Amino acid sequence: MLQCIFLLSDSGEVMLEKQLTGHRVDRSICDWFWDHVISQGDSFKSQPVIASPTHYLFQVVREGITFLACTQVEMPPLMGIEFLCRVSDVLSDYLGGLNEDVIKDNFVIVYELLDEMIDNGFPLTTEPNILREMIAPPNIVSKVLSVVTGNSSNVSDTLPGATGSCIPWRAADPKYANNEVYVDLVEEMDAVINRDGALVKCEVYGEVRVNSHLSGLPDLTLSFANPSILDDVRFHPCVRFRPWESHQILSFVPPDGEFKLMSYRVKKLKSTPIYVKPQLSSDAGKCRVNVLVGIRNDHGKTIDSITLQFQLPPCILSADLTSNTGTVNILGNKTCSWSIGRIPKDKTPSLSGTLVLESELERLHVFPTFRVGFKIMGVALSGLQIDKLDLKTAPSRLYKGFRALTRAGEFEVRS
Amino acid sequence: MAPPAQSQRSQSPSQPSGKSEVSDLKLQLRQLAGSRAPGVDDSKRELFKKVISYMTIGIDVSSLFGEMVMCSATSDIVLKKMCYLYVGNYAKVNPDLALLTINFLQRDCHDQDPMIRGLALRSLCSLRVANLVEYLVGPLGSGLKDSNSYVRMVAVIGVLKLYHISASTCVDADFPSTLKHLMLNDSDTQVVANCLSALQEIWSAEASTSEEASREREALISKLVIYYLLNRIKEFSEWAQCLVLELVTKYVPSESSEIFDIMNLLEDRLQHANGAVVLATVKVFLQLTLSMTDVHQQVYERIKAPLLTLVSSGSPEQSYAVLSHLHLLVMRAPYVFSSDYKHFYCQYNEPSYVKRLKLEMLTAVANESNTYEIVTELCEYAANVDIPIARESIRAVGKIALQQYDVNAIVDRLLQFLEMEKDYVTAEALVLVKDLLRKYPQWSHDCIAVVGNISSKNVQEPKAKAALIWMLGEYSQDMQDAPYILESLVENWDEEHSAEVRLHLLTAVMKCFFKRPPETQSALGAALAAGVADFHQDVHDRALFYYRILRYNVSVAERVVNPPKQAVSVFADTQSSEIKDRIFDEFNSLSVLYQKPSYMFTDKEHRGPLEFADEIGNLSIGEATDNVVSSQRVEENDKDLLLTTAEKEETRAGHSQQASFGIDDLLGLGMPAVPNVPSPPQLKLNTKAALDPSTFQQKWRQLPIALSQELLLSPQAVAALTAPQALLRHMQSHSIHCIASGGQSPNFKFFFFAQKYEESSNYLVECIINTSSGKAQVKIKAEDQSTSQAFSTLFESALSKFGTP
Repeated sequence: MLQCIFLLSDSGEVMLEKQLTGHRVDRSICDWFWDHVISQGDSFKSQPVIASPTHYLFQVVREGITFLACTQVEMPPLMGIEFLCRVSDVLSDYLGGLNEDVIKDNFVIVYELLDEMIDNGFPLTTEPNILREMIAPPNIVSKVLSVVTGNSSNVSDTLPGATGSCIPWRAADPKYANNEVYVDLVEEMDAVINRDGALVKCEVYGEVRVNSHLSGLPDLTLSFANPSILDDVRFHPCVRFRPWESHQILSFVPPDGEFKLMSYRVKKLKSTPIYVKPQLSSDAGKCRVNVLVGIRNDHGKTIDSITLQFQLPPCILSADLTSNTGTVNILGNKTCSWSIGRIPKDKTPSLSGTLVLESELERLHVFPTFRVGFKIMGVALSGLQIDKLDLKTAPSRLYKGFRALTRAGEFEVRS
Repeated sequence: MAPPAQSQRSQSPSQPSGKSEVSDLKLQLRQLAGSRAPGVDDSKRELFKKVISYMTIGIDVSSLFGEMVMCSATSDIVLKKMCYLYVGNYAKVNPDLALLTINFLQRDCHDQDPMIRGLALRSLCSLRVANLVEYLVGPLGSGLKDSNSYVRMVAVIGVLKLYHISASTCVDADFPSTLKHLMLNDSDTQVVANCLSALQEIWSAEASTSEEASREREALISKLVIYYLLNRIKEFSEWAQCLVLELVTKYVPSESSEIFDIMNLLEDRLQHANGAVVLATVKVFLQLTLSMTDVHQQVYERIKAPLLTLVSSGSPEQSYAVLSHLHLLVMRAPYVFSSDYKHFYCQYNEPSYVKRLKLEMLTAVANESNTYEIVTELCEYAANVDIPIARESIRAVGKIALQQYDVNAIVDRLLQFLEMEKDYVTAEALVLVKDLLRKYPQWSHDCIAVVGNISSKNVQEPKAKAALIWMLGEYSQDMQDAPYILESLVENWDEEHSAEVRLHLLTAVMKCFFKRPPETQSALGAALAAGVADFHQDVHDRALFYYRILRYNVSVAERVVNPPKQAVSVFADTQSSEIKDRIFDEFNSLSVLYQKPSYMFTDKEHRGPLEFADEIGNLSIGEATDNVVSSQRVEENDKDLLLTTAEKEETRAGHSQQASFGIDDLLGLGMPAVPNVPSPPQLKLNTKAALDPSTFQQKWRQLPIALSQELLLSPQAVAALTAPQALLRHMQSHSIHCIASGGQSPNFKFFFFAQKYEESSNYLVECIINTSSGKAQVKIKAEDQSTSQAFSTLFESALSKFGTP
């Protein structure tokens, strides 16, 4: 049972305070928390659950904003953490991003949202579809509307029908002239590659995102050509479990609009689309760096926005790095970022140069880890393929669309 | 994620200082209050926004209460919401003004729009002003019968709020049984869930005083209710599912087929997108199968994949919570996760609290088959930029080595660390090599060769330096220049700041002396002389001891300093298995994250019904120091687990006993003596006891709580307690002396002490009295535990006589 929620700015100022139960939580807890964070050096480093002298605190930091929840009683920890994560998701969804100004400008909406999301310390609904019906988001349309009609209330007149319906994620009976449903496979490749080029770990985390604009109560089935490759799957509450269990078919009544239908993981992949070969050799106070990047096996699709980032070790005085393609930047915090873009046909991109070590150091002992970014449109690297999407009682005009995209997740190359 | 800028405690320039702005607002609000001009709502909204933003910043705008209420007559729902928010925030401190709002809130409770009905009801119940409860009963009653589920949902929680303001009003209006009916019959699952959470709280709180309530509480975990909730579980919102699942863990199925039915029904919850649901389901599975060993093992296999997915796909905060739970599971079943070790490899970008847990997991899952790969991976982290993690990973390598798998390869790695020429790596590795040698003396030859090459000048950290010196002493016969290194260390005695290192140095020189006397003699002399002159007590004592024993008999000294050593087979575990079992029982709770059972860290007051948490909740951090002390004390006491449980039972006994008193009093029987408790041994107190405050403080900190209970004061007593002094004199006449007192009506706090007659055994008492509720919270500590019960009775009777002429 949460007793209070605070929203703190990145300078520790209390932007919002929402007392949830009769046991009022004094604001001084925020001062204690902030001192604690400062003594840790960085809010990102301190643990998500902290025991203060009077309360147990959950903290989630998103975009510089700290969501802080206090409790004095034992409770499931993930409930606190998940709830705060949802709050931040809902807020950034509503306000079109999260930052100090946007919260201060819209604090009335934030209060309204919190009011509906949690009562007496217990979470009620965090389903964005439902909330949207109770409290209209502050978008341009509603602003224009309010100017035109003079009615500036941002609360819809009707109560969400779904609070009474047995499908809590779906608003009752939307109507569309054009019935459309889009399915996107969005995958992220996580890989760790050792200095000798061996794959330590390579897996894909994927999501099936659906954007549905369908009238009435549509009942959809989605099947894959090769569902057996999926390792562990998690579903949106709308997915019926039995058809998946017996035939690996996703059968569901979708929420209206965009949502994450399922997430999955495909483990033990054997290859990566690109290779990165770093070479570092150091002696006599200098370190020569040479990094080659290239395409390993061709999927027939272009690999876009390739980037490479690494942290220069703290013992380096200066760095002189150049590349034959793309641009190299060394940022203030000693992060070196090399953006390559696409790999040209005629040459292999390479980054080379020398690092000068601190005077008393002979050789380099700390080796940087290279973080790689890329994006490939039109292919799901896990190999997952959608077989078909069916709609029971299909309306006369139905448009179905499929897309796939793979990007680098935590793609690391050690040196 | 953007790193937060340096903290600036200064106020932002836009922040107004207060006074003049507030009075300005007051004026503007007053002008708008009666106006019905078009567009007035918009200007009101701007003003309300300002008021609320001031409130949020922390400026006291309570003086606007009247004006805000006057302006609240509006049909604009946003205005209403802002007004509700404002009223909810300030009603408690302005009970008289809160009365003003009742009228318009009650009117709104009958509004056409269900949303407004709901909101008004919610605000009405959130006023939390004790003398307004009479106005709540009516709207709540009709709210519970409302045709709209939103209103019912709000009303149910409203009942719980009412209960916390005034339990008797809530029970008298028969709300609990209405909730029970709703819970079993309402069509909306959110209403059902709210009923469940409200009833759980109400009946747990009532159970201590009423037989019926405790029966009802039991009924919540009956087959009927559990099956009803489980059959509807898919309709519940994800958070309500957590609540239901938590309840299911308390259910004891009568036969094993039930267990399988429940698990089949809940199996798909493991695939839920919400981590809290997954973890709650895991808990149900584990608890249900505790008695069925083979099924329990299958459960581990089943829950593995969903948990690992949560670790790798959630936010770092979620990973942290799940990893803590995995760590608990892995302690009980290491083999389950041993093939999934790659899940625990650290990613560069992860926050260090996640990395740290992952390192612990890697150590825990290491076995014959995967040790080589895990250690290879850990060695990668040793070159990590994040120095604390690099250190931890070296320690992890050491721990794995001590687990006896593939020691051969690990020793090689550790020795490579020593050659890495990074001071912190060398330091950590030295400490590990020392531990390793204590367990595997057969490796001494290889290790010593490498350790001998390390210059003691490059080792600065005390722990590492001590380890190096220990090895120099222990293996001085194998290391060519050990005596000379020790000698040079002794020469720099004054520059050595750590007492630990100096102690080790003394012992090492002694050991070396017995192995290579001629070379060490001069160093020994110098070390003993320096040691005896040392200002540190331990160093001084040890040097003196060595000196005397050497003079007494050299061969005895050798036996003392250089006894034949046995390899250490098992290093002492830091946590007892009993504690681990307790934490396991509390799966899916904060205790898993702290790796302590909850009684070791939550305050006693907060575990039961939230009776007193209000007052404590209001404490600001500065005053809360005695809270900290108490939690530390609980920790100390935990060394004796059995004692603590016994004490807990005693406390509970105290409660129920007290409860029966309460009923007797209610019936007006006014029975002065203890009814059906066997009369305690007579305890006589010393009338002239004396104790000085600092001793009291010290004893209070040291002693465990022997008894803690809540007593009801008679109305006469409450009336007599206008100032603390009255009670002091009264208690003194019963040989219970006060050492400190304070507080203002209605809250008083006393510290008493008493001494056993003709013995110097003390009793210490903390007594917090709230005159408005007529309750006294008493904590008793006793030096002689066996008589604490007797003393408590004495104290109780003394207190009950207070106020009677």
